[in-house]
Amino acid sequence: MDSATDKPAGRKVLFMATCLCDAFFAETAKAAVEVLEHAGCEVLFPEDQTCCGQPAFNAGDFASSRKVARHTWRVFSGELPVIVPSGSCTAMCGHGNALQFEGEADLGEARDFGKRTWELCDYLVNGLGIKTWSGRYEARVALHHSCHTRGSGTGAAMKQLLSGIAGLELREFGQPEQCCGFGGTFSVTFPHISGEMGKVKLEQVLTSSPDLIVSADGSCLMHLGGLAARGGRPVRVANVAEILRDALLPAPAPAR
Amino acid sequence: MNPQPIDRYAETLARETRDSVSASAAITTEKRVDILARDFPDPDGLRRLAGQIKQHTLEHLDDYLAKAVRALRDNGVVVHFAADAEEARKLILGLLSERGVRRVVKSKSMATEEIHLNDHLAAHGIDCVETDLGEFIVQIDGDTPSHIVRPIIHKNRREIARSFEAHGLGDYDDDPETITRRARIHLRSKYMESDAGITGGNFISAESGRVVLVTNEGNARFSMAPNRLHLALIGIEKIVPRDRDLAVFLNLLARSATAQQLTVYTQFINGPRASTQPSGPEEMHVVLLDNGRSRVLATDCREILRCIRCGACQNVCPVYRQASGHAYRAVYGGPVGAVLSPLLAGERFSDLADLPKASTLCGACREVCPVDIPIPDLLLRLRARAKEEGVRTPASIPMAPFATLATSPALWRTAMTASRAMNHLPTAALPVKPLREWLKLRTLPEWRGGEFRKWMKKRKQS
Amino acid sequence: MSDTEASLFAALRETVSGLAGRTPLPDYDETILLASGRLGSGSEWESFAANFEAASGRPMETTADLATFLKEGGHLRGYCDPLLREKVGSVLQTAGLEVSYEYDRERYDDFAFGITRASGVVAETGTVVLNDHETSDRLAALTPWVHVAVLSEEAPVHRTLSDAIRAFGDCPNVIWVTGPSKTADVEGILIEGVHGPGEQICLRL
Ligand code: SF4
Repeated sequence: MDSATDKPAGRKVLFMATCLCDAFFAETAKAAVEVLEHAGCEVLFPEDQTCCGQPAFNAGDFASSRKVARHTWRVFSGELPVIVPSGSCTAMCGHGNALQFEGEADLGEARDFGKRTWELCDYLVNGLGIKTWSGRYEARVALHHSCHTRGSGTGAAMKQLLSGIAGLELREFGQPEQCCGFGGTFSVTFPHISGEMGKVKLEQVLTSSPDLIVSADGSCLMHLGGLAARGGRPVRVANVAEILRDALLPAPAPAR
Repeated sequence: MNPQPIDRYAETLARETRDSVSASAAITTEKRVDILARDFPDPDGLRRLAGQIKQHTLEHLDDYLAKAVRALRDNGVVVHFAADAEEARKLILGLLSERGVRRVVKSKSMATEEIHLNDHLAAHGIDCVETDLGEFIVQIDGDTPSHIVRPIIHKNRREIARSFEAHGLGDYDDDPETITRRARIHLRSKYMESDAGITGGNFISAESGRVVLVTNEGNARFSMAPNRLHLALIGIEKIVPRDRDLAVFLNLLARSATAQQLTVYTQFINGPRASTQPSGPEEMHVVLLDNGRSRVLATDCREILRCIRCGACQNVCPVYRQASGHAYRAVYGGPVGAVLSPLLAGERFSDLADLPKASTLCGACREVCPVDIPIPDLLLRLRARAKEEGVRTPASIPMAPFATLATSPALWRTAMTASRAMNHLPTAALPVKPLREWLKLRTLPEWRGGEFRKWMKKRKQS
Repeated sequence: MSDTEASLFAALRETVSGLAGRTPLPDYDETILLASGRLGSGSEWESFAANFEAASGRPMETTADLATFLKEGGHLRGYCDPLLREKVGSVLQTAGLEVSYEYDRERYDDFAFGITRASGVVAETGTVVLNDHETSDRLAALTPWVHVAVLSEEAPVHRTLSDAIRAFGDCPNVIWVTGPSKTADVEGILIEGVHGPGEQICLRL
């Protein structure tokens, strides 16, 4: 993973909403924009953005994925930092592209783009130097570290920001290193294993009796939330961006 | 969509088996983390160091292998080379037959599993008994190991007791201690009556030619005490440059494999027994096995050859925990197997090209690997290779349409908004099969395509 | 050189010579390998004893203790390296144990204990070092339920694994023994005494 130190930072940023937010999680994307603005950023949204290319990459169709990746960095051209409300898409733009552009003429461009791309919380803490997040949010939170944030600054940053919020209590649970079982297309091509992995994860997470599950990746949350609902034990899930935003709301935050 | 063989295997796996594999893999994973954190200030630094030493060795394997061979020969070891499984089997059978060997005791070795040695020897009238308790049970059951370090992680004590009873090893008794004692008694006479011992090898020091062998049970040691011939089958990638480097690997191996500081018996063998020693082999042969390794070295997945067979990646892997080792249809299962097995398969790559897909790419394996193998990257490269070679694996979703859509922004925006119609369709009428698969187990959030874009536009205007 | 050997080396040479930017052999300081928490504040023997015990080994300091242990455990007949006759064997005989100075492999099941010499110990790991020169008979250290490795006064107490490796010298067949033979193959349950000794003793003279 890229270390945060050599990445450009600044108060003018490009926002990559991600295809999942585009399709499902409008709330997450809105929250991320508001959080960035609260942090003093001017947020630009390039209209022609689509997806980072990860589905094709994971399928091993590097040619298709590279096509999408090239489109993406053209849409996000320039020097500005690119902020993403997803650890997974961030990892794709960084490590993923570095891998699939090995031996390609535009490997350099891929690398440059990766260097400018930040996950939201990582950016707030390690890019902008924000040490604490204020506000209030009454909830017991189980923080799920999504797999693609391994080795990045996101995990620690999320924890740091959430810890500053009054009323928010982070709850520990067992085997935090285990995956939720989503894995993109894996969830439909390996339906059984994916579902069982999700149940195991859910089991662990729920031992901490959380009011909601929070993560830097909506995909994990969609999986866990979807499984819980189908399994008759619905549990609230929220992207970390939404918590950061809601904590700032003047009205009393959602009650327990 | 054809079901993925690994997914189907997992689905039909007995719950009880799944649960015990899962539980013991989880416990070992936890203990591994504890012991590394307790003993070393920077365990990750150690893993990276070990990975670098191995990578260096592999990238200079011609030199180090030559050095090791010279040192082995200087130590009085007879060195042979086997290009593939068949040559290895022939060589070993030849060595044994020439010496009139009828009874062999064998200490656990993945390399001998790889070449299916036992069956071959049995077919030629040589009795080859597995001595590692787990491997012994696998052998009497006509089964195969399902884990690198814990061959019978998939069996419970009741199954073992039943097969002991069936094989004349006493009345049914499922107490693990009784099982162990019965095996002890049965196997001692096998050792004492053996003509030769066959082992694998965990490391060879190029500097001194020492062959390093680790076991907890002491069976490797016992396999080379009562008889006159020691034969070790070792992969060519097992070389480390110097004796001092062994400390790096031994410190990591036991902790990663079984959360022990050190395995109980760590042997450094350089040649036949000393002249003053009454027990032990007068002859030592090392068969260096290629069997696809030199071909793997030439690929962009050569990092997998760093593997020291600790099984940590299997223990931590959530897919392995659900599917168990046999699901991988090869000697090596779990993350290491998903990479290594298709590579070693050579021409039959396509038969195992589905294995690299059995992963969410969660990266847990990479975090535990004592030699820092970037397993997820290798899985991806293998997926790409399958795609490039036009190998069709079950349950793959074509991605070209996605790429077209994702590079046509106007079309993309339209599709985002238009797909809202899905919210109003009953599940069965959904146009995409994967979506229906998803919905069997999970609900899906409401499709809100285009909503964020609209909101963003409005904000800009206001 | 066999054909296989020659063509393998040719293939390896071709592969590695084509690699761009080969990884150098990293330099490292052995202190990063040290599990320093395993070395207590006492003597190195004390560290060894603590770690050996943690691995279910039994450190002992007197032959009288050994005699008591063997008698209480019902290990009444055994083998002793003839070179240890004076210091260990005869003491046990006086205590009423039956000691043979010849290892008869036909009677391997009759030896409940086996006493051989150790060539050193490792403090960091609680390991007994055996080798072919000092071990009077490999089988005597393996077949009995109780193995006693006798550490003479002059034998080295290595501080770390790296030290023990440096001390290999030209010694053939070095074996590190860290506790009794064990397995966890059946449902992960730890059982001691699988093929080798179920009791591993280190007696320091
Ligand atoms: S790949 Fe790494 S973790 Fe897996 S068995 Fe090999 S050395 Fe162990």
